[in-house]
Amino acid sequence: MTTMNNSLDKPVAAPVLAAKPAGAPMLAKILLAALLLLLLAMPGFLSTSLVNAAIQMLIMALFASAFNVLAGQGGMLSFGHAAYFGIGAFATLHAMNAVSGQGLLPTPLLPVFGAIGGAITGLVAGWFSSKRSGVYFSMITLALAELLHALAPHLKSVFGGESGVPSMRMPAWGFTFGTPVEVYYLTLAWVVASLALLFFFTRTPLGRLTLGLRENAHRLKFLGYNVHMARVMVFVISATFTGIAGGLLAMSNEAANYSVFEVRLSSEVVLNSYIGGVGVFFGPALGAAVMTFFGYAVSDLTRSWLLYQGIIFVAVMMFMPNGLSGIVAWWRASKFTGATKLGYVLAWSVGTLLCAAGVVFIVELLQRMLSDDYQFQLVQGQPWPALNLFGQAWLPGAVVTWLLPVALLAIGGVVLKLTSARWQALNDGEAQ
Amino acid sequence: MVAMCGKGSSSRTFWNKLMEFFTVSLLNGTIYGLLLFMVSAGLTLIFGMMGVLNFAHTSFYMIGAYLAYSLQKVIGFWPAIIIAPIIVGFLGVIVERFFLRRVHKYGHAHELLVTFGLSFIIAELIKLFFGNYPVNYQVPSSLNFAAFQLFGTDYPFYRLMMGVISLLMFGLIFLLLSRTRVGIVVRSAIYRPKMAEALGHNVPLVFMGVFGVGAGLAGLAGAVAGAFYTTNPNMALELGVLVFVVVVIGGLGSLEGAMVSSILIGLISSFAVGIDLSAADVLGYVGAGEWAQQVGGLLTLKISSLAATIPFALMLLVLLVRPSGLMGEKE
Amino acid sequence: MSMQNTKPVALSLRDVHKSFGEAHIIRGVNLELTEGERHAIIGPNGAGKSTVFHLISGQFKPSSGEIKLGQQVISGLAPEKINHLGLARSFQITNIFPKLSVYENLRLGVMQRFGLQFNLWRPIAGFAKVRELTEQLLEQVRLTRHRDTLGGELSYSEQRSLEIGMTLASDPKVILLDEPMAGMSREETDYTAELLRELSVGRSLMIVEHDMDVVFSLCDRISVLVYGQVIATDTPENIRNNKQVQEAYLGTEVAA
Repeated sequence: MTTMNNSLDKPVAAPVLAAKPAGAPMLAKILLAALLLLLLAMPGFLSTSLVNAAIQMLIMALFASAFNVLAGQGGMLSFGHAAYFGIGAFATLHAMNAVSGQGLLPTPLLPVFGAIGGAITGLVAGWFSSKRSGVYFSMITLALAELLHALAPHLKSVFGGESGVPSMRMPAWGFTFGTPVEVYYLTLAWVVASLALLFFFTRTPLGRLTLGLRENAHRLKFLGYNVHMARVMVFVISATFTGIAGGLLAMSNEAANYSVFEVRLSSEVVLNSYIGGVGVFFGPALGAAVMTFFGYAVSDLTRSWLLYQGIIFVAVMMFMPNGLSGIVAWWRASKFTGATKLGYVLAWSVGTLLCAAGVVFIVELLQRMLSDDYQFQLVQGQPWPALNLFGQAWLPGAVVTWLLPVALLAIGGVVLKLTSARWQALNDGEAQ
Repeated sequence: MVAMCGKGSSSRTFWNKLMEFFTVSLLNGTIYGLLLFMVSAGLTLIFGMMGVLNFAHTSFYMIGAYLAYSLQKVIGFWPAIIIAPIIVGFLGVIVERFFLRRVHKYGHAHELLVTFGLSFIIAELIKLFFGNYPVNYQVPSSLNFAAFQLFGTDYPFYRLMMGVISLLMFGLIFLLLSRTRVGIVVRSAIYRPKMAEALGHNVPLVFMGVFGVGAGLAGLAGAVAGAFYTTNPNMALELGVLVFVVVVIGGLGSLEGAMVSSILIGLISSFAVGIDLSAADVLGYVGAGEWAQQVGGLLTLKISSLAATIPFALMLLVLLVRPSGLMGEKE
Repeated sequence: MSMQNTKPVALSLRDVHKSFGEAHIIRGVNLELTEGERHAIIGPNGAGKSTVFHLISGQFKPSSGEIKLGQQVISGLAPEKINHLGLARSFQITNIFPKLSVYENLRLGVMQRFGLQFNLWRPIAGFAKVRELTEQLLEQVRLTRHRDTLGGELSYSEQRSLEIGMTLASDPKVILLDEPMAGMSREETDYTAELLRELSVGRSLMIVEHDMDVVFSLCDRISVLVYGQVIATDTPENIRNNKQVQEAYLGTEVAA
């Protein structure tokens, strides 16, 4: 039996989902319980805007986990998942508005229409897309989402026009659902229930078959499985829970318009999931939570958040192919002491932070330099005025303005290279 | 737009208008199709050779347009059209060498994701440098004249020029691949990379080269077409989806399939854009017009508004009837 | 010629042809597998042995000709339908689930037997019969100690054993094995041959093999495939002495 790879470079061999379901280790269970308690208690000590951010994080975490059923578990990469999210949102909104605004069901039950909308759309889209596999599948999912995106503005009765479809949460079960805190608990309940169902799904026969689809769909045919039907079913499951996430967003925002079908949302769920790591059940949820929080935190500070997202994604794909959650598996698989591993993690973190600082500096500098307001200030023949960055003034003409970020990048790069080289040597030494 | 109802017009004017609509759409559609092919050809070659679907392929198209726009202010239109694709080609080589090659060991899906991420970054960088709105990249006045008159309307010379450039490029690539030594090596690397390597050819170099040429082709298409159509940060995605539809219909890895489906889609799009009819109008001819108007929704949408969605519908149809594409190989 | 068949026919190929574009690979194959028989297909490389298996199992459709499983025509059916009718095959190039455990690999095959593929409301661990049969298979192919090892991390011969295990998982009446013993040691080969002998009781087996010792000891009849045609079908003894076969394939090896 070959030894496990210790380098961060090689993909770790064992996605946790493949292990026999003898129960997660004790530590994981404790952490999960602690997390749940934290989530329940959070609104007590968070500001309203943070509660709203938490709602967004929960919704995106569910979205990513539902996406992962198809992509990470089933091996079918969908680039158009916003379609099911959006349909789920609109289905829920129409359900909310039905019966003269009273809603087809009591408010807490309304996301079920998101599920239904997602399921039906997923059935149709999945049936077509699964006729092909691999990159064809991905291209078809993208094309279908774009079709919906192109069609939606014309179908005003269903999707509203530019202003979209508005609605209002109705009181039910003794709650008004007028405050963010109540919406938070409603969202939390649905997300926790959905994630529990999704986790349970991985233990069922179809859930295990999903992994088989990823690993070797060809062989499954000769084992007696109707692969197309299996793929469609997995697609439907993924789309159903995606629809729930969309429904939750609709309930939280009390509105949606056709911009929800934009490729931006489809891209975001892909980025979030892979940054978190698709080999582990909670990986995508982790990635979504982290990225959504970051987006929320820095969106006031910078206009280039999307660019950073893209850079983070490519960096993770190139240097940490198993995503953030891959760190856990890497830690457990590596044979060195905790102290050694911690040392390397710190060194890599320092190097990464330095590089990140350099990149952020340059991007923010460029962003300010190239903005229209600044460009209008420029006078021919005169030196360019100073830019305001991080509370200091920087002259674009000054060497130091550019030397600083380049130096940060260089030092960070050197730290990373040295640390990786030492790690490699350490592993090669052990192997002998 | 051409009104198709001949109500009240004399039959000769109606016939005239019909002929004009037909010929113009035919020309426009073919040229647009050739442009599509220029971009799809690179994508299909790269996929056939490396098994990687380069999501960032149409990003190269976009960069070509923006580069040409920036350069032409400094060095003039024609030098810009030539230099921009070369720069884009180099960018392609860099992407292959420093990004794709590094993640090759993780599999094709991983490579696809990296190109996806790169396309994302490129779009954001374009927005950073040029703003999140279209730029004023226009056909230079020296080329902005009518080539000839078609049924009383001017037909722009630049449009014809685009078609001619596309044809030239296609011819050049075809000759290169089929008649030269380099071409044979490239073709063998496409079909049997390991065998080609075993025979001593520098396959990684070939990969880099084909990737660069593919990118350069896309960049050329962008540089030329960007002046005519709009140049905005969204153009990579809009064209990308269309190119994907082209290769799904035509079959990835098949240059002939890409040509056929490009022209097909180009023609259908061009014809559809000129048809100001909706299903309700057509139903009106058989007396069901009022009912259709009442039903509303999709039935009252004009075909010209739906023109953008027709390629997708075609793709779905092909998937139903012939899943492996018009000329693709069975998976 | 073949001996008189008093037993019913489990699998038959009649004048089967297959072309890929210009290449005419299978040029009129006639084969019969009687029930309970162990039948070997031998022949030089490139003769089309794997292609015959692909045609029988539904991966390819014959260009012409007919394939029947018992009385049922299966040429042109989808692979999963053919599997449901009672035929299973293994692959020459190992075709397992690399990132799933050995246990999971086998279980996927077993699961199908119970029609569980669309079950999403009960955990798989709750199906005792599935567990039992999977453990049994694990024992039979001697991979119990590798229960939790990922398929892709097994040694080559262990993967071949897993491949056989997966083929047997669906409890087929007709088994096609494509070079099952490739890469195995003498001891492993002997064990596997014994296993196949046991397991093929009450079933019919068609096996492509290059190992002549296995073929001669295990099989009731041998068919020789050369250039897409069966040039002889007979008992091992008669095949050994068949001049045509000796020329085309066996050569001096037979003398040993």
